[in-house]
Amino acid sequence: MTLTHLNARGEAHMVDVADKRESRREARARGCIHMQPATLALLLEGGLPKGDVLATARIAGILAAKRTHELIPLCHALPLSKVSVDFEMDEAQSCVHVEAMCRLNGRTGVEMEALTAVSVACLTLYDMCKAVDKGMTIDAIRLEEKSGGRSGDWSRSTSLEETDAKRHDGFDVAIEDGEDGEKVARDNGTLTIRFLAELRERLGQSEMSLACDRLTSRDVAGVKRALIALDSRFSVLEERRVLAARNQVMVNDTTAVDERDEIAFFPPVTGG
Amino acid sequence: MTVDIRVQEAAFDIGAEQQWLTRRRSDIGAIVSFTGLVRDFNERPDVQSLTLEHFPGMTERALEAIAREALSRWDLQAVSVTHRVGRLRPGDPIVLVLVASAHRRAAFEACDFVMDYLKTRAPFWKKEHTASGDYWVSERQSDRDDAGRWEQ
Repeated sequence: MTLTHLNARGEAHMVDVADKRESRREARARGCIHMQPATLALLLEGGLPKGDVLATARIAGILAAKRTHELIPLCHALPLSKVSVDFEMDEAQSCVHVEAMCRLNGRTGVEMEALTAVSVACLTLYDMCKAVDKGMTIDAIRLEEKSGGRSGDWSRSTSLEETDAKRHDGFDVAIEDGEDGEKVARDNGTLTIRFLAELRERLGQSEMSLACDRLTSRDVAGVKRALIALDSRFSVLEERRVLAARNQVMVNDTTAVDERDEIAFFPPVTGG
Repeated sequence: MTVDIRVQEAAFDIGAEQQWLTRRRSDIGAIVSFTGLVRDFNERPDVQSLTLEHFPGMTERALEAIAREALSRWDLQAVSVTHRVGRLRPGDPIVLVLVASAHRRAAFEACDFVMDYLKTRAPFWKKEHTASGDYWVSERQSDRDDAGRWEQ
């Protein structure tokens, strides 16, 4: 991983995006402003001296997204196709949650635009309410998810789970290291396989691990073949319509799998 | 834009859910709701109860992805999906989808879309219990066809 805003000499520069392919980019950011319960009540009633607080903060956020390149030195000016700013009043935590979404078809991401929109919407809320409450705090401004572009999709919830999983793995390895060096190597090179609903009942098994070196191809189809080679009762995976999820996202046979992935197999879904 | 996803054993109250969605807002012009109920006939005529299994973690994520897809396709103000799991009896409500928008057309279409995608993409499975035994419910081709309408 490198910092794209630094050149080979470590100097700040603007990334040339002329040759990057256009793709649909989207980013969602959130933030929060905490205030006195009485301030929140005034905000809800529209009783603040500067007038319609939320409408003003929304416009401020949208304008800010459009002008991000004027504030953040190495950001490009982007022709945003959509900016939305929304507010959720949270009486339990006595705060207003601010969420911004930016979208465009272009060559560079819109995370900074979404984060700027949230920041400025929060600042505007502060400005509009400061006459009655100077102790408000703005916090937890963060990117929630982004999609499109070379670095691919990212979401906070997925990324946190992966970090947790890694930490957890690290812990396991540390314990096992003392007892059994071989087991460590195997743990790193395994997949967790899960079977759900009717498939679990039919196979009489809900979970197992599969060594990656058993895969003839590193995709979901390869996982099925490796399981069938291991035990013919798994041939049910190819005989009927079976769906698969990799790390809890629905995938198909050609999806690549990686060490430590969780691959779940299940029958067609029947909810609703 | 509000997205609210809940997977729970408890029953839900459609009135309360709708009030929660519209609390302190006057920009919503339409709410379309869909409630799915347990039927006493399905693959066999004498369904006494059913058990809904799901894949915790993936379920919430799949429902959120469906709701966000609806938000990106229509101009909506809120999407709320509540799905029950566990043991349910005929007549019990299973699923509630509420879609709020400024004008009715978007809410009607998006609600239809959310249910079609939920039926084919969210990891829930029904096992029906009848006097003549238990069985897992099969998928319906019509559900797949319905979901396919939104792919063009």
